Amino acid sequence: MEGDSQRASASWENGTLAPGEHLRSDRADSPLPGLVEGTEPGAGQKSAMFVHAQSFEDLTAEAEEEVRREAEINKSGDGEEELKVLVGEKEQHSSDMTSESRTKEEDVTSEAWRSHRKHVFVLSDAGKPIYTRYGTEEALSSTMGVMMALVSVVEAEKNIIRSIQADGCKVVFLTKSPLVLVGVSRTCQSDKELLRELHYIYYQIVSLLTLTQLNNIFKNKQNYDLRRLLAGSEYLTDNLLTRLERDPGLLLSAVTCLPLASSTRDTVSSSLQAAKSKNLVFSILLAGDRLVTLLRKKDQFLHHIDLHLVFNLVGSSSSFREGEGWTPICLPKFNTAGFFHAHISYLEPASELCLILVSTDREDFFNMSDCKKRFMERLSKRSAYPALKEALKSPTYSVEQVGIPELRHFLYKSKSSGLYTSPEFPDVYKSDCEQERLMGLYQDLHSSLHHPTRPLRYVYRCGDTENLLAWVTSGFELYLCFSPLGTKALAVAAVTKLLKWIRKEEDRLFILSPLTY
Amino acid sequence: MSAMRVDAKVVMLGKESVGKTSLVERYVHHRFLVGPYQNTIGAAFVAKPIQVGEKVITLGIWDTAGSERYEAMSRIYYRGARAAIVCYDLTDGSSFQRARFWVKELQNCEEHCKIYLCGSKSDLISQDRSLRQIDYHDAQDFADEIGAQHFETSSKTGTNVDELFQKVAEDYNSNAFQEMKPEETSVDLSQKKDSYFYSCCHNN
Ligand SMILES: Nc1nc2c(ncn2[C@@H]2O[C@H](COP(=O)(O)OP(=O)(O)OP(=O)(O)O)[C@@H](O)[C@H]2O)c(=O)[nH]1
Ligand SMILES: [Mg+2]
Repeated sequence: MEGDSQRASASWENGTLAPGEHLRSDRADSPLPGLVEGTEPGAGQKSAMFVHAQSFEDLTAEAEEEVRREAEINKSGDGEEELKVLVGEKEQHSSDMTSESRTKEEDVTSEAWRSHRKHVFVLSDAGKPIYTRYGTEEALSSTMGVMMALVSVVEAEKNIIRSIQADGCKVVFLTKSPLVLVGVSRTCQSDKELLRELHYIYYQIVSLLTLTQLNNIFKNKQNYDLRRLLAGSEYLTDNLLTRLERDPGLLLSAVTCLPLASSTRDTVSSSLQAAKSKNLVFSILLAGDRLVTLLRKKDQFLHHIDLHLVFNLVGSSSSFREGEGWTPICLPKFNTAGFFHAHISYLEPASELCLILVSTDREDFFNMSDCKKRFMERLSKRSAYPALKEALKSPTYSVEQVGIPELRHFLYKSKSSGLYTSPEFPDVYKSDCEQERLMGLYQDLHSSLHHPTRPLRYVYRCGDTENLLAWVTSGFELYLCFSPLGTKALAVAAVTKLLKWIRKEEDRLFILSPLTY
Repeated sequence: MSAMRVDAKVVMLGKESVGKTSLVERYVHHRFLVGPYQNTIGAAFVAKPIQVGEKVITLGIWDTAGSERYEAMSRIYYRGARAAIVCYDLTDGSSFQRARFWVKELQNCEEHCKIYLCGSKSDLISQDRSLRQIDYHDAQDFADEIGAQHFETSSKTGTNVDELFQKVAEDYNSNAFQEMKPEETSVDLSQKKDSYFYSCCHNN
């Protein structure tokens, strides 16, 4: 073990991440695979599944631009006064903070309202309320007015307001004309993380309306009440916010797959490939929140953010359960100007398997319906279908299977494929509250690895309740959670072992040969 | 499933939360789902065979979303429809205004579409008469004026729901000799040469 750790740590500590001599291109044999993008476990064999972008930076890049002109207001007179109205002063976690139901009726002057861990507000350029996570927009119109005033005052001096720090609380602004998004957080997340979340909310709204439509509306009527158009979609935003707290995929800018024998997955994929149609751009088969397979038109890539928006749409709504859904959807990372049209249906009424066929033509419903029919005909003749249904029974794996002592949980993302894998949460993290706490720790590590000016390559953190290790290379991102009994040497040794295990399991855990049509 | 041949296209229209999805649920699956209201996203399609005399007629039912967001999209759902079930909530006056809007829209764009005016949630009225906001006779007068059939239904109890859809199917059947081409099941894509994306403008 000692030897292992030294070899592994040596290469980090002197900062060279170039592949050692031992790293051969032969995937299966390389003892420490994945130092180079494209050779890491889980890397696709032919091509990337998603858009090939530095996913996380991608999201916040624009905001970073703005940093140069930023104006940080630190506890400046007026701001603070208003802030107290906004966030209250007590650090107190309300018990319903994890409850998913919309606490719309909540009194916005109450202590409970103030003490929510994270508020999100969306308003128009003109200061009209569009969305609040808690309470009603009406009740908050003056608060939102104050927020808009803050934005405008700073803008008047040709600056952009980015964030305000107040006692135990952080206010982050994202101006995306014609919208302004404001996050108020008591968590220890960095500005950058909060901004990333606000971007997601922004894209969520764009996905319902398109940016073109949004701009047109406000061009014609500056004072427009956008809630009219968003009516009935608030729960999508609510759910997205919950996902941001719980789903590692949103943190990692990656998606996870249903573990499946590669032969089965290949048969499913090729059945889907055969069910093509002229205007069909993406075919996505989901099992709950896990990807079974994704096909795309040649040269068209689906950005992971867009995919998460699709996941959120499908996962939040039971309305696709019956019959076949047909809905316009804008995939903002693909194109903010127009709608795609998605055919959404479950393979069987009580099944978790949901097929999403994305077409460019709004008249394409019956064509898509026919594609689904052909896919089902093909698939149900093959043994892959029962195998797939069998696999649904064990959509995750336990960390014990990896066989690393003291390892409780991990996240592993293959950068070139945009896919990640992670075992189920062990008992210690089973409760929502503990899960969110662990996600918070991962978020912290993530922030350190992706710090805008001082990014770290690896981090080891000892805590009372767990020890954590995070490591990023050009090929992968890895987060490990050990029991507090673990040592650094153990953690370092675990990396090699884990990578080997993932390599061994990669054709089950990842989609190695994505297809196109 | 979609594999079925569809004889008549039927579209459900009406303000959000008036109970369109519940009507379809009740009729197709004989149930009423309690629990938080889930608004429809876009639209949902379901094919349902129905016995009319000796014949079986398959209704292709489009359950549209009431949200204004999808208004610009609504044409694709009602185009070529043989019947439109325009719903309003008996306990919500504003939903009747919205029903009038849909009727006008249909009269302008789909003259061959028969209109069925449906006041929903009648069980609420039976429980508490004071909840009624739309007088039966006012609605009936409006129905006569536009040559529509008029029903008051409850998806919760099932009152009048089968009757409504049965009437739709029978009317279709007795008009079928007029031999209107049923809704095309595929679209000639070669004819479409406009832009790759359809962009929806709220204001056009
Ligand atoms: N008491 C009673 N409630 C009903 C009835 N029909 C619908 N509801 C309730 O009204 C709410 C809205 O019903 P939906 O059927 O989802 O409404 P919708 O017209 O499909 O709404 P959108 O999809 O948003 O356009 C739900 O909470 C239903 O439970 C009814 O006959 N009686
Ligand atoms: Mg509905």
